Amino acid sequence: MLRTLRIFKRILVETGLGLKASGWSNWLVTSILCVALTIFGGVLQLTMTLKGLVEAWGNQLEISAYLRDGYDPKAVAAEICQFPEVKQVEIVTKEVAWRDMQHTFKVAAINNPLPNTLHIKLSSPDQVETLAPKLRLLNQVENTKYPLKVAKKITDIRHFLELAGIFITGALTAATLTVIGNTIHLVIKAKHREIEILSLMGVGHFYIKCPFVFQGAAYGFMAALMATGILLGVHLYVDPYVKEQLLSLAPFMPQNLQYGLLQTSMMMAALGVLVGAGGSLWTSGRYIKI
Amino acid sequence: MIRLQNVNKNYGGRPALLNVNLHIALGEFAFLVGPSGAGKSTLMRLLYREETPTSGNVFLGGVNLNRLHKGQIPLLRRRMGIIFQDFKLLPSQTVFNNVAYVLRALGVDEREVQKRVEPALAVVGLEHKYNALPSELSGGEQQRVGIARAIVNGPPVLLADEPTGNLDPATSLEIVQLLERISQRGTTVLISTHDQPIVNAMRRRVISLKGGEVVTDMDNGLYELEMQ
Repeated sequence: MLRTLRIFKRILVETGLGLKASGWSNWLVTSILCVALTIFGGVLQLTMTLKGLVEAWGNQLEISAYLRDGYDPKAVAAEICQFPEVKQVEIVTKEVAWRDMQHTFKVAAINNPLPNTLHIKLSSPDQVETLAPKLRLLNQVENTKYPLKVAKKITDIRHFLELAGIFITGALTAATLTVIGNTIHLVIKAKHREIEILSLMGVGHFYIKCPFVFQGAAYGFMAALMATGILLGVHLYVDPYVKEQLLSLAPFMPQNLQYGLLQTSMMMAALGVLVGAGGSLWTSGRYIKI
Repeated sequence: MIRLQNVNKNYGGRPALLNVNLHIALGEFAFLVGPSGAGKSTLMRLLYREETPTSGNVFLGGVNLNRLHKGQIPLLRRRMGIIFQDFKLLPSQTVFNNVAYVLRALGVDEREVQKRVEPALAVVGLEHKYNALPSELSGGEQQRVGIARAIVNGPPVLLADEPTGNLDPATSLEIVQLLERISQRGTTVLISTHDQPIVNAMRRRVISLKGGEVVTDMDNGLYELEMQ
């Protein structure tokens, strides 16, 4: 146990020496990885926010189904409740609707022309297009109405951002891997004598390669910290302004959206460490022949 | 201790070793001689498993090195000391740290490191130069550091690949005599060299290689001039 701890301590010392030897390359690698992680984190937060927006708005999203005369709205509501996409059905009878209308507007004394209406809330806003045609197929339903366009647009934007985020993060990750690979390669070259001595004197492969992997992981972790700092800055100074503008444009927008910065930071750290350590492991495996 | 059985080694179809059969006993001191390209370094590399033979078997302490998988090679190398022509010292580390370097990497505790490095440096006569850097030492002293590093683990086998190649004749003799003294303590020592005066001064077992083949193997042997 103590021996393992001593070996671990030596690996950390060697990692530190490797970082010291890399000089300015450290900042180059960390900066590029930081840009990649900031984009990843930013896109992740934006998608999370949009998802939250769609969900929050989706909770308010409902399909209004207007029933033909002669059908019992309670029976129809019970039937519609059987659909898996349905979360809740609210019945507004023609009498209630007419009374409300009379209460709100000056309406001439005519016979009630309004139909019985069901307000159907969905378990997920994505399912509007699945449920609406099913409802239209019911004999009891004369017509349906739902605000499809906005829901669809937000979902489309979210999907586009997800794809763009994956693509940009992927491209930047590949660039980072190349830079990490080159940096670690230079460190390996600088330490070739130590590596040769250790290998010929019977030191295990794990000990020889581990400092390089740790160095890569350190780059990833540092980059994730920097990216978190940038996103925190955006969160503190840019978000309130953007939110204000959005609310003036779209007052219906939910105002308590959670950005999950801690969760994003953890994901960025995990990705950064994974990319850093993975790139270094690949490079050390390629260039250290033991 | 060391046994080679019908060993052949080819590099891209070109033979470097041809049907080599050898046995070196525990505690024995032997020279492996021959001109450049005779196969000395190839044979040494087979012994520390830097290479594997094209055919035949190499045994060290009864272990068939061909059967070792990659993860077992470090364990094999901890049971031997290797000395190089170019010393392979770390220029930024002191004499003490050069010898202690591998012990620390193996997780040996600092008191134990002290306990092992000091006697090793005493054996090679460098107990007064612990804190010197390699650049402050003569070639002979640098090779002594290399020897101290090779024996610090107390290995049963010491392989020296052209250990006097970079040294003047007088220092070369000192180094080989030092290796002989180490051998007298029970360590098997195999020295590959083409330094004829040294080999002939020692009059020990001489294994001669030429074109990858063992051409002579004599106790109290000489390195014949016509070999070169």
